[in-house]
Amino acid sequence: MASYHGNTASEPAKMEQIITEFFAKSLRIILESRCPYVSSRNYSSEQVLLSPSPPSSSCSSSSFGLRDKSFNLALRDCPAALDNIDFWWQSNLEPMIVDVILVQRSGNWDPMNYLPKRGFARTFSGKEGYYYNSENDEFGYEIESEKIIERWVLHYESKQSGDHGSGVMGNKRAACTSSHALYNKSTLLLRSLYATVRLLPAYKVFRDLISSAQIRAYNLGHRVSSFVEPFTHREEADMQHFVFSPVDTSCGRLCLSVLYCSSVLDISSEPSTPISPQVIHEYVGSPMAEPHKRFISAPVSQSSPSSPPFGRYHSWNYDIYKVSPSSVNLSPSSTYSESCASMPKQLSHRFPPASLPNHTASETPPVHMKDPNFHEYWPSPTFSPSPSPSPSPSPSPSPPAYIPDSHILKALLRSESAPVGIPISRLSTLPKMPKNQLLPLSPSMGTSGRRVSKTDGCSGLYETGSMVDKLFTSAKDEAGKFSGVKQSSNSSSTKSFSRSPSRFSFQDHFDDSEFSGLFITNDDDLTEPSTRPGSFDQPGGLCPSGRSQDTAVGALICMLKKAPPLRPDISITTNLVQGSKP
Amino acid sequence: MNCEVCQLNELEVEHFEIREVLRCILHTILFHRALGLVRPKDVDLELFEITYVQCGDVEVERKIDEKIDQFIDRVEKHPKKKNQICLSFYEVKNKQATWFTNKVEHLYWEQWYINLNVMQHPKTPSGKSHHSKLVVDPGVEAGGARRVALEASLRDVLFQIIKFVNEKKDHVPSIPNLEGFLFPYEITISRFCIQDGYVQEDAPDTSSIDAQLIIIALKFTLLLSPCREVKYVALCLKVNMIKPTVCKLELYSIVETEG
Repeated sequence: MASYHGNTASEPAKMEQIITEFFAKSLRIILESRCPYVSSRNYSSEQVLLSPSPPSSSCSSSSFGLRDKSFNLALRDCPAALDNIDFWWQSNLEPMIVDVILVQRSGNWDPMNYLPKRGFARTFSGKEGYYYNSENDEFGYEIESEKIIERWVLHYESKQSGDHGSGVMGNKRAACTSSHALYNKSTLLLRSLYATVRLLPAYKVFRDLISSAQIRAYNLGHRVSSFVEPFTHREEADMQHFVFSPVDTSCGRLCLSVLYCSSVLDISSEPSTPISPQVIHEYVGSPMAEPHKRFISAPVSQSSPSSPPFGRYHSWNYDIYKVSPSSVNLSPSSTYSESCASMPKQLSHRFPPASLPNHTASETPPVHMKDPNFHEYWPSPTFSPSPSPSPSPSPSPSPPAYIPDSHILKALLRSESAPVGIPISRLSTLPKMPKNQLLPLSPSMGTSGRRVSKTDGCSGLYETGSMVDKLFTSAKDEAGKFSGVKQSSNSSSTKSFSRSPSRFSFQDHFDDSEFSGLFITNDDDLTEPSTRPGSFDQPGGLCPSGRSQDTAVGALICMLKKAPPLRPDISITTNLVQGSKP
Repeated sequence: MNCEVCQLNELEVEHFEIREVLRCILHTILFHRALGLVRPKDVDLELFEITYVQCGDVEVERKIDEKIDQFIDRVEKHPKKKNQICLSFYEVKNKQATWFTNKVEHLYWEQWYINLNVMQHPKTPSGKSHHSKLVVDPGVEAGGARRVALEASLRDVLFQIIKFVNEKKDHVPSIPNLEGFLFPYEITISRFCIQDGYVQEDAPDTSSIDAQLIIIALKFTLLLSPCREVKYVALCLKVNMIKPTVCKLELYSIVETEG
């Protein structure tokens, strides 16, 4: 109100200006809490006109850079209000009637083609101050019904004319300090108006429209005019009337009232349609979301910076241990295939990829093929081609979680019928693992917690066999007992990885990468599936001599490696994965 | 200048609802009396579907939260059902010391009495933090109907404030005389109220206007007729000046005794 304070106009002129600005401010307050959509007009000029004070630098929104500070109430710009208020600048302070209309769309509207449009289809003309889409709402959809849920009536009753509907401020009568009092009281009235618009039921509808991501079957529109048809008795019976105390001046009386419908809340509670439902493939934690991230963070060792010491590793982490793309889990997941493609690069850090790819086709351990239980418990595509993204093809020493220990034991024991011999030379070609790489084995195991040190000419496979032993033992442990097992520094073939001791999951323990890390062998090194378990006792064998468990596991591994290609057995692996999930 | 007093409708609240209810009411009143330049801030209540408006000043918000904390503490220490918070707007007058007090005289021109009936509730952690989240009573689900009723009552109280502000404007000081954006105000916590001529058990921490008027009247009485009324006045003055209701009660008892 700088113009009010600063100019030397007469009192009537001051009062007229106060009333005019009061009208504008009231409209702004009403529409900013009832009009969900903004206009595309540039309102910089109007902003200056309405707010002579310099624009505030603390504006909250860049789209609403200036604030209307009239009546000491700094508000954001409301373009919808400004679109309409131009009409009143040239008027003689005719009554301003603001109808808030609840528009309900037809039931055939398509939310998928929902395209909210800015602005309105019509502009006002004449003295109607009409600014509303009648046939179609802002979204271009056919309007089924309209209901006026609020009617704000603002008018100035001039004492001179005594006309309730018009307030022509042509009176040049000198007044006392009524303009000062008018300004004070108008300020108070605007405060009340600002609070009231937020207490009425329509505000909830407005908030639902602007805040909800749901597509509503209704919308709020508004109509600003000077003359409207009065409500019928029936309509008015459903509405409540709230009248603000008029602001009396020496020249007239400024009146503000509202008729509002209290039952509008029932409409807002109608079911709505979510916007664009879609299937999310790349959910958090999915192999599609972060395949490479998982790939990198695959638990190679406890010292690995990318692998949290107690993190849970998912089956797709073990892509890194895949022996070959062909042996990789034939998951339909593209992420998984990507991980397969990048696997050789990853594997080069640990073992020669060339040594691995040829395993699966012919070297699947017979136990994999013969033992359905084993199929169920071994999700690794290396051993059993699986389309599922969760099991990785790489051999993993980790047994799957949620599998009774007896089942694991049975599965492993059955592998005794398929011993596998792994040539030492092959194993020696496996890349040396870092010294402190770990194998996820339970500390409660007999051999766990200590380094798997088989340095006496043993190959990594031998050490792997030990690890298999550990793995086998660990498979019988309860969840959360696993911890990394440090591998011997002399290990040259095995890779180790850390595990989360806090969780013992089927996938974690029988994930391909973990398990495959223990049994990384070349296909060429594997013997026939019919190799007796005793062959493991041979030097350089998979298992230490005299240990039937190691033999069984080794045989199992061999069987898995000799498993047929993944693709034909996708269904098997899928069953394994599904069975492994808790 | 008249002092307009508004007694808001009594609200029956649970312990965990005190903070939200008081914040809503106090901020709504202050927003209507913050007639300087303000940037209103809409706040949604967590427990109710009500949006109220704050004047957007951090200091005001802090002061209100502080008073609410004191109120909650008092409720916990004295779990009486009826509790009252008084929000008073005043003008600073006569900064010189007077007979009765050395304090700066506040000329109250408006007082709001917020009456809360705190339901007996097992002690729950009172969030003293200004920004703490509400501790929802696990049994709140059982009071769904009560909550709905309270929401309606709270909304009625807000409309009561709006109506009062609109109906009575003449007593409000002129805005150009306003220093800052908000008229000087104070928030006092009472465990009782002086209305309708009866006094509750405890006394407020500060003298109410009624008590001050009584003391002034007694002093004039003393000056005019130094008889037995003297001892009445003396007795009153002996009483702690910060407990005017006790003073008043004592005076009544003395009158009855003396016949």
